[in-house]
Amino acid sequence: MALWVLLLLPFCSFSYSYTFGYTGNAAQGGNSWGMTTPVLGVTVQEGLDISGVIYTYNPIKEVSDDFTVTVQNENAAGDGYIFQDTEDFSGKHPIRIRKVLQLPYVPIESFGQGSIATTGVGTLKDESVIYMYRFDACRNPQNDPSCPDYIPPLPPPIKIYDALDDDSVKLASKETDKELIDDDEDNKQSNEEEEDKDRLEKMLGIASNAFTLADGVTQSSLINTMNSVNMDTYYLARIPSKVYREPLVLKDQGISDNRKVLRSLSNDRLHQTMIEEQYK
Amino acid sequence: MKKLVTLFLAIGLTGCALLMPKEAEANTNITGTVESRCEVVTDIQGYFGNPNAYTLTTLPASNGQIPQIRITSTLANAYKAIVSYPTSFSSSPSLSNSVTWSGTVAIASASSSDMSGYAAASTVTNNGAMRTYYLTHAGTIYVTVASEAIYGGNKAYPGGQYVAVAEASCVAQ
Repeated sequence: MALWVLLLLPFCSFSYSYTFGYTGNAAQGGNSWGMTTPVLGVTVQEGLDISGVIYTYNPIKEVSDDFTVTVQNENAAGDGYIFQDTEDFSGKHPIRIRKVLQLPYVPIESFGQGSIATTGVGTLKDESVIYMYRFDACRNPQNDPSCPDYIPPLPPPIKIYDALDDDSVKLASKETDKELIDDDEDNKQSNEEEEDKDRLEKMLGIASNAFTLADGVTQSSLINTMNSVNMDTYYLARIPSKVYREPLVLKDQGISDNRKVLRSLSNDRLHQTMIEEQYK
Repeated sequence: MKKLVTLFLAIGLTGCALLMPKEAEANTNITGTVESRCEVVTDIQGYFGNPNAYTLTTLPASNGQIPQIRITSTLANAYKAIVSYPTSFSSSPSLSNSVTWSGTVAIASASSSDMSGYAAASTVTNNGAMRTYYLTHAGTIYVTVASEAIYGGNKAYPGGQYVAVAEASCVAQ
């Protein structure tokens, strides 16, 4: 029996990885809000269930005035409300309301627009609407790699870029001048017509004079002969190498001092001495 | 014949009476549990600020904090809430001078607009230190208790820790 229990235990065990918490003040940006991540301050995703609402506000009114305040959340399907809670201050002293509404766990996807609606004469101050939530990280296993049924996502397909299939390239390489295209087609057509005409004339000439053909053959062979240049003589030409040696040899014969320079240096020294004497 | 039948009936009843035990009795306990429908919880702990040498106050402007008590009644017209601000220290250094206490008890917020009349209908006793709210509706009220203690003759308080108790209770009406 104990063995059976041990064998079945892995199939029976299931751990709930719930996280509980509170959202930020949904009414911070005004008395109408969407159930979005920036508004609630928590990531709105599959697995997030709302279990209650804590709301506070301070009504400003005269006792004799009629004034009602309703805190509500529309159904995302647009066919009603998830909850509606109304306080009627008509004929009553204003008192700061602080209320906790318990809700069955409602998926966040079911929540539509939230709002604080008023009727009558009066205003509200210090409004705050906070949602209590429960988050099941593994309801969508793809939320967390540690979830039991998590499937690693496939790498995204690599798209090979083919410039020839690029519409922009096609558009850029397309001839856009219609007149040029038409001119090209006209020229091509006229050339073909001229060639056909020449060919017809030649055929008629061949029929009338057989020498024309022989002449053509002779001229063709002559042109072939002129065009056939034997390049091997250029490729196979050999240029003999030669060594150019230095024939000049300079020998040290000694260099004598330049006496003129020595004389000039003595003049310079005298000049310097004269100049320095001025400052003495 | 009629007499004979009556005789047999009398003898039979007598026999039955002789067969029966003399006494038949049983003691059965009847138990029951009554859960209070009124709950008193401290929502915000209070503490004193010390703006000068001779004053202790819960005013936030003087670095104090006003305590808040949550009183929830699930039955209408069944309870009254009695809340009082302190009139003495429960523990403090030895004080040679008297302390002058003042304070206020007020409803900070409520769970229903129907409770907006609680403040007007409340009564005050114990020289204004104790306030009684009549919980005529089911729901929650949040009561704040502000208090201030000024040492006699504006003399400086002796150094040490001072503790005072704000009392709140739910009493059946």
